[in-house]
Amino acid sequence: MRINSETRRLLPLLFPAMLLVMAPALSAQGMRGWRETAFQPTAAGEWTGPKLPDGQPDIAGHWSNTVGNHNNLTDPQGPLGDDDEAPPRQGGQRPPREPRPRASRAPSRISDPADGSWPAQPWAKLKQQEFLKFLNNPIKPEYVEPFALCAPGGPSKSFMWHGYEIRQYPGYVVFLFDSGNRVIHLDNPRHLPANIKLWNGDSRGHWVGNALVVDTANNNSKARLGRTGEFVSENATIQERFIFDPKGERFTYEATYTDPTVLTRPFTITIPNRRVTDKTPADDWNNETFPAKHAGSDPVIEIWERVCVEGNGNHGQVVVSGK
Amino acid sequence: MRPALIGLATVAFAGMAFAQTGNAIPRGVDGKPDFSGIWQSLSGADYGLEPHGSSADGPPGVGIVTGDTIPYKPEALKQRAKNFAARATADPRTKCFTLGTPRGLYGSEPIQLLQRPRDLTVMYEFGHPVRTIHTNGTEHPEGHIDLWLGDSRGHWDGDTLVVDVTDFNGEAWLDRVGDFSSDELHLVERWNFVDRNTIRYRATFEDPKTYTKPWAIELLLYRRLEPNVQLIENYCALQEFEKYYPVPTLKSER
Repeated sequence: MRINSETRRLLPLLFPAMLLVMAPALSAQGMRGWRETAFQPTAAGEWTGPKLPDGQPDIAGHWSNTVGNHNNLTDPQGPLGDDDEAPPRQGGQRPPREPRPRASRAPSRISDPADGSWPAQPWAKLKQQEFLKFLNNPIKPEYVEPFALCAPGGPSKSFMWHGYEIRQYPGYVVFLFDSGNRVIHLDNPRHLPANIKLWNGDSRGHWVGNALVVDTANNNSKARLGRTGEFVSENATIQERFIFDPKGERFTYEATYTDPTVLTRPFTITIPNRRVTDKTPADDWNNETFPAKHAGSDPVIEIWERVCVEGNGNHGQVVVSGK
Repeated sequence: MRPALIGLATVAFAGMAFAQTGNAIPRGVDGKPDFSGIWQSLSGADYGLEPHGSSADGPPGVGIVTGDTIPYKPEALKQRAKNFAARATADPRTKCFTLGTPRGLYGSEPIQLLQRPRDLTVMYEFGHPVRTIHTNGTEHPEGHIDLWLGDSRGHWDGDTLVVDVTDFNGEAWLDRVGDFSSDELHLVERWNFVDRNTIRYRATFEDPKTYTKPWAIELLLYRRLEPNVQLIENYCALQEFEKYYPVPTLKSER
């Protein structure tokens, strides 16, 4: 679906109609290759795997989270979440259903506090509930999830979406996502001036053993943390750690958000990730790579251009009244 | 040669090598020229590939087309006129769409080149998309794919990177005044250093649907040398929607 300039002008008026148009395409979305219900976080420690000439651990390649999409931050495979066992959509929406037992689905992506909840101030929780209430019936433009407009997912939500590629260079680690790209600067710890606000923030990192430690500021904080509507303010700072298994097969993403404007205390998001290889089944989600054509016999995989500036993103449909 | 002369020659050679360090082109771990850095064209080509005078559209320029004129077929020339008439809204740039190849190299914002032996990544500030020039011996995929930036496969001819680009979607323009190509465009680029801070970029256009014969452009990319220069993500397409997403505040709840 492409949106021309006239449609873009009318876009705020057309959101509900767009959702109906998009529903069939969404229903055709295939099964995820990976939908783990439990995982063991990678421990921080020494890096014993291969290194690049500049000394960085060599973790370049294709990766994807193993849990599911961004439908529900705190119960990713739960009743509002990303679950292939959900009943078929009716009129573009999935009806509420009885969830599987909590113990048989992935834990909250919020690992701290221990109860997995988003530690927001009462007013902020009301705003989150308001966003969720209108997600499938966005009577105002502010209820349309920015992803629908091809916005980047933001620092953490980008790891709740399709598979992505990591490329490394002296001074940089670069993430190429399905929606937007993110550059981690390794050679200069100084952030951009504070008045510059960015969808993916300004990221400054360094390696400690097997962990890429990143400090992210300058967030415009317009991307929610899940379709369930959780958010932080522009004042938030994020400390991220990408902790890589020295075998290069998995890494754990941890992000600690500090934001007295919205939160009652800091919280940490934890997301397991796994390497996509030529042996990973293609599922148009975790693995969106293609085998490259070449004369040799060794398998080479690559992603093709991911340009989403013509407004052809889709919104997604989730139930909003599950238990 | 006597030992004393050998020593003198060694000192002289070392001195030459030292003197050349400042101007030597950077090379990667594979010995190939390393284009890594932040670059920008000062050609003004985005205002018009062909020579043009001053107008409300922008400053004058001598253009970057070899021979000055793009050899359009008659029907394509009519299309360019239509594009020109509608340029205020029809130019994909005005909608913040990806500028395409090669236009993204000479837009008004810088690009960053990130190089590994296996590929050269072009990251554009405008819209923040990424183009990969594969230099790992891989070939174009089978069949035709519609891509804004094309499918790029490169190889080294000495110190020149030669890139074959196909699989265009035909929707990108070449400048602000309506120059264009079709999905049949076959672009061959040649990238080489003039000196460590200047890249010469040449490209030949073949597109039998649009042009009567192949034609070429040539421009220079200059290294951005400001100490604090960096590419800043510019998701320009989102600007008109950002007003709908004020971050909720306690004040907004009251």
